[in-house]
Amino acid sequence: MEHDNELKLQAYLDGELPEAEAREVLKWLAHDQEAVLLQAELKNTRQALAGAERLIQLPESREFFWSKIERDISRVERTEPAQSKESFFAPWRRLLVPVSAAAVLGIVILSVLGPMSSSSMAENEVSSEDDTGFVYRDDTTGTTMVWLSYPAENEVANQEPATKL
Amino acid sequence: MRDKFTGLIVLVALLAAFAAFGQTPAKPDKKIEVQLLWGTDQPKSPNPAHRAVEADIQRRLKNSPYKWSHYFLVTNQTVFVPRGSATNVAISQKCSLEVKDLGKTMLELSFFGQGKKVEKRTQSLPRGEVFIYSGNAPGTNAWLLVLKRLD
Amino acid sequence: MSDKDHSSAEDKALVKAAQQGDMLAFEELVGRHRDKIYARAFSMMRNEEEAVDLSQEAWVKGWQRLNQFQGESSFGTWMTRIVINLCLDQLRKQKRQRTESIEAMDQESGGVERQMPVLTVNPTAGLERAELRQRIDKAMAQLSHEHRTVLILHEFEEMEYKQIAKTMNCSIGTVMSRLFYARRKLAALLMDLKKNEQ
Repeated sequence: MEHDNELKLQAYLDGELPEAEAREVLKWLAHDQEAVLLQAELKNTRQALAGAERLIQLPESREFFWSKIERDISRVERTEPAQSKESFFAPWRRLLVPVSAAAVLGIVILSVLGPMSSSSMAENEVSSEDDTGFVYRDDTTGTTMVWLSYPAENEVANQEPATKL
Repeated sequence: MRDKFTGLIVLVALLAAFAAFGQTPAKPDKKIEVQLLWGTDQPKSPNPAHRAVEADIQRRLKNSPYKWSHYFLVTNQTVFVPRGSATNVAISQKCSLEVKDLGKTMLELSFFGQGKKVEKRTQSLPRGEVFIYSGNAPGTNAWLLVLKRLD
Repeated sequence: MSDKDHSSAEDKALVKAAQQGDMLAFEELVGRHRDKIYARAFSMMRNEEEAVDLSQEAWVKGWQRLNQFQGESSFGTWMTRIVINLCLDQLRKQKRQRTESIEAMDQESGGVERQMPVLTVNPTAGLERAELRQRIDKAMAQLSHEHRTVLILHEFEEMEYKQIAKTMNCSIGTVMSRLFYARRKLAALLMDLKKNEQ
């Protein structure tokens, strides 16, 4: 069964399909035994999960837990008004002395060492600005793999690439 | 005394700056091979134009979490990324990859699909290592975009 | 409102009092919903210490944002959404600081669930509620964070695909794939647990 059809079956079970597509799935289920079996399995799993979440209790007493929250709330409320009363120039004044010294030192160091990489990351560190890629690193072969949850339409998988061999 | 010391630091800094920036030799472009692969459980690719994947990549894929039993080379291209600049690599009619040099072994990779940025990352790619973008392809197949340094 | 009033008051009244600065009213709300909020944090993080910290943080945020609560959902649901978002932020932070395990990559890249034979026997048929809860919890613990989260949001929080996609900051297609994998994997794990018992 095509994966897209499997997902459609699931969407039908979850009531996420528009009416027309839901009717198509019903017709399909009427003559595809494999689909019927898969749907039954998905339905069993769904029914098993319904209301079957484990009941667990916070492992701290009510009073202790509340005391920590109360303390944090007080701390947050104390910090916020204090910042607004400070003089506009006070933070700048505090920063001025050490920053100016660091700037001079920085100029000297940069000049001696030459231009640095614009990235301050370690050699093998990766960072992704978006949340799409799932990263796996195999250190033994020096291979980094990223799985993109990208729709399986034909854009990349299309066998008509932009460049020819 | 303090003024003289500060003045000496600035002078040293200026001299060092001239030495460093004035004599930096031009670095060659980064040379990167970009391979598009097709992952499948079928022993033969439906496209006769597809070729065998090189042994090094096969070995890496064999030891990877990718679960397809066969891989085929769809396209293979070499791109040159000028130091400090970016190069756009067309993967297919709707997909492209922008590779930007960030110095040393670092690259910034931006993957585009249907004109939209799907993912952007900062990635180290030293010589001898391989970076792979991958994702689902129709059916139970996969596409894999393999990058390796040639310089 | 006196202490006696607080304990017998409905959530709605307590929220209103707390919005006007009544800390004791908020304390009562914490007391009533703390287990539920903690349980949600634990189900996502699978770590007791992290779950306690995140649920504590959620309550502080709840206090700070109380005036934003307009009663469009129950107070418990509103607080649950706060703790879910905190957990997701924490999971994203942890994900950026590491590369994934081979098992997690295996789960995410999919394909395995398509190789699993369809189960024609219901692995949870005839189980007592308590036993069922225990087995499901055991099986859920073996899923990756992403797959467990999508199951929690869909099955326990009853969110729609679109809402889950927005919460998890991914596409609807990803939600569907992850949910499909999670369900199939869960079924297989429950079947294994059933076989081990027999």
